[in-house]
Parts: sequence; C-alpha cells; structure tokens
Amino acid sequence: MVQIYSPEGTAGEPDNRLTSSVPTLDGLRIGVLDNEKPNAGLLMKRIVDRLVERGAVAGPQQTKLEAKAYLPCPGEVIEYLADNTDLVLTGSAD
Amino acid sequence: MSDTFLELATERPEELMELFATRGWGDGLPMIPPTEDRVEAMLRATSGDPDEILYQLPPRLGEVTRRAIAVNAVLAGASPELMPVIVTAVRAIGDPLVNIRGINATTHPTAPLVIVHGEAVTDLGFNAGHGSFGPGNRANATVGRAIRFVLLHVGGARPGDGDASTQGAPSKYTYCVAENLPASPWGSYPESIGIDAPSAVTVHCAEGPHNIHEMWHEEPELHLDFIASVMAPMGNNNALASNGEYFVAFGPEHAATISGAGWSRRDVQNYLFERARRPVREMRAHFGGGRAWAGWVEALDDDDLMPLTGHPDNIRIFVTGGPGKHSSVIPSWGGTRSVTLPVEA
Repeated sequence: MVQIYSPEGTAGEPDNRLTSSVPTLDGLRIGVLDNEKPNAGLLMKRIVDRLVERGAVAGPQQTKLEAKAYLPCPGEVIEYLADNTDLVLTGSAD
Repeated sequence: MSDTFLELATERPEELMELFATRGWGDGLPMIPPTEDRVEAMLRATSGDPDEILYQLPPRLGEVTRRAIAVNAVLAGASPELMPVIVTAVRAIGDPLVNIRGINATTHPTAPLVIVHGEAVTDLGFNAGHGSFGPGNRANATVGRAIRFVLLHVGGARPGDGDASTQGAPSKYTYCVAENLPASPWGSYPESIGIDAPSAVTVHCAEGPHNIHEMWHEEPELHLDFIASVMAPMGNNNALASNGEYFVAFGPEHAATISGAGWSRRDVQNYLFERARRPVREMRAHFGGGRAWAGWVEALDDDDLMPLTGHPDNIRIFVTGGPGKHSSVIPSWGGTRSVTLPVEA
C-alpha cells in the first residue's frame, strides 16, 4: 500500500452559524439585501409580497451600497438589517 | 474536516486519477502521488512552520499551510526548488485586495495569473521567451497548476460547486508566465511599482490573454491604437467596474518599436488610458442595474468618451515572449486588485 496526503488539508470553522427556522410567518419582518444584479431586487420584492400575503410584514429593502455584487456587504448595512428585520432575503446570481 | 492520509494500492497514475475522480478532485490530468517523502522534499525548500495557518481559503475555508501547498505542488508535478515561488503566489492570493472569495465563486472565467519576475526566472528555468504563456515548460506549467490545485482542493472551488464559472477557461488548468526582463526597454514591472527585490511574483486575477497582432506600424500611436481597441470591449468586466486593471504583455518586438520612438512606460500608460474609451451614451444604453461605475463616471455627459479604467496606473505593463509581432491584453475580473510580493518561502 502507498500512503498519500489528502490535498484538502483541514477546513476551518465558518464565522457564523445558521439560526433555527421560525415556526410562523405571522408578523415576521422580511427584509431584502439587494446585490443589484439585474432583476434581483424585483424578484426578491415579489417573494416578499407573497410572504406578506401569508402573514409576514414587509421590512426594509437595502442595497449593498458601493460594494456591489462582487464585494462583501458593508457592516453598517448588515447591522441595520439585523436591527430592523427578522429574516432577510439575499443572494442572486447572474 | 478531511482525512490527512489516503491509501493507494500502488503508485500507478491511473489509480490516483480514479481515486481523485471519485472525490471530485484533480483537473482530469495525471498527477504525482503526494507521498510523505515527496511532500517533505517540497517543505525542505521552504522556511517557516509547515503547519502555520497562512489564511483560510473560501469558499470551503480550507486552512492554507505550507504543507497543504506542498501536497498540491507535488500533485501538480512541480519540483521542490519552485516552492518559494508557489508559496509566494499563494500568499499573494490571500491578500484581501485580490478578493479571492469573489474570484473563486464568480460565474466569470477569471483565474489567477502568476507572473514571475527577476532572478527566479533564469535560476528556476521559467520560460519568458517563445511560447511563454505555454505550452511546454515545466516551471510555468506546474506553478500555475499548483495554484489551481490549492484553489480546487483547499479552497473547494470546484466547477459547479464553489466555482460557478459558466464556461470555465483553459487558464483554470494553469496560468503562469515569466517576465522577459532582458527584452524589456522599460525595466522590470516590480521596480516600476516600487518593489526592489531579486525575485518577485505578481498575482493578477483575470481573463485569458487577448492577442494583438500588429505588424504594420512604426508609429507608437497607430500601434497602440490596436491595443486600446482590445481594451475597450463591452463584454469584459472592466467595462462595468470603472477601476479595473489591465496587464498589457508586450511582445519584445512591439516593445522595441514603441520604446525606439522614445516612448516611456508612462507614455504608453497615458496613451492607452486616453484611447481605451467608449461613448458614454452607448455604455448607458447597454449597462443598466448591476453596473459598478464610480461616481465620476456617472457624472459624465452622454457625449463624453468613458475611459474603461479610472487611471493610467491601472494599465500595467511588462514584456514577455519571443520574436514576432504579437502582444496581449489581460483584463482583470474587475472587483480585484493585483498583488506583487518579493519571493519568500
């Protein structure tokens, strides 16, 4: 037998953890973090509209400011959404 | 967490390829088994703690260590004396300016181009002359491949899973070139940006080289107009980023023609900055939401000409290649900056 190293090495722990799911939409404040890819904001707003029909509350719709899609979101935008929403829709590819 | 060691029945390349294929590893080409002896030989060519965590590489957040680099360098077929260049390039990739998370994850076909400068080019057998972008040279080919293996295996940037590149690119197999300093009339690229070291490595995350074939003119302006035209298509990311970099890889004959007319590196940068432009009206008609133009671009009138990058310093010049009337433009991904480091292990 021949022993070789795995090429992957060790994976670190991610910085954040997933929160648990919410049991109900009633009164849930749904925000949007728009990365400004074409139609991303429109798509997510319509998802918010559907969730509002089912009992959620529309929260703030934010963009990533100057950071755009290819850079991390500024901390102040994250903080604002964390303070003013219960759930955020984000992420859209091309 | 992954297993540190795996077992093969033999060192047959077919067996290694089959094992890697089942795990989604490798690039589809034969590799060298990273046995302990081979990895230790790589590490003896470096200094520093082999298990020091240099940084975490997204999207997998794999821990980049000299040992992990050495394993992937063995796989790629690199020889141990290349390790300082490989380690330096991997360290450069970890600079936040590079934005490797975006580079690895994007739908764009961007890949890190490694440019080797200085004494390392001749001392380590890199090809800076005929066919410098490939194929045929072990140093060029294996350094670029080692970098790709680090991104694939440690970073988890696998096609369709971590790496969303729509079509991929040949440069995602290997992408390494060497500066042809003896043929450069403008000195070395690192010295032009204030880095004084016997050897250096630049990492520029970019598209593949876009060729310019220009064999008609001695006048620098007419000659550089060909290059400017290749810098200003709407389809490259610099068109929507407004501050992206270009590396212009001059073939030696083109460099000699332009410098022979008395033009300096700065003259070339300034001229290309002025000429690589598109009508603002046209750009606004074609770029809607999602463009990342700086405020000064948005303030231009429709009748103005928009530069495809915000400053002549973003147009970075070096010489590579052999005889022939060809040069290349290498546009960046847009949301990234190149990094140049002195070679250290």
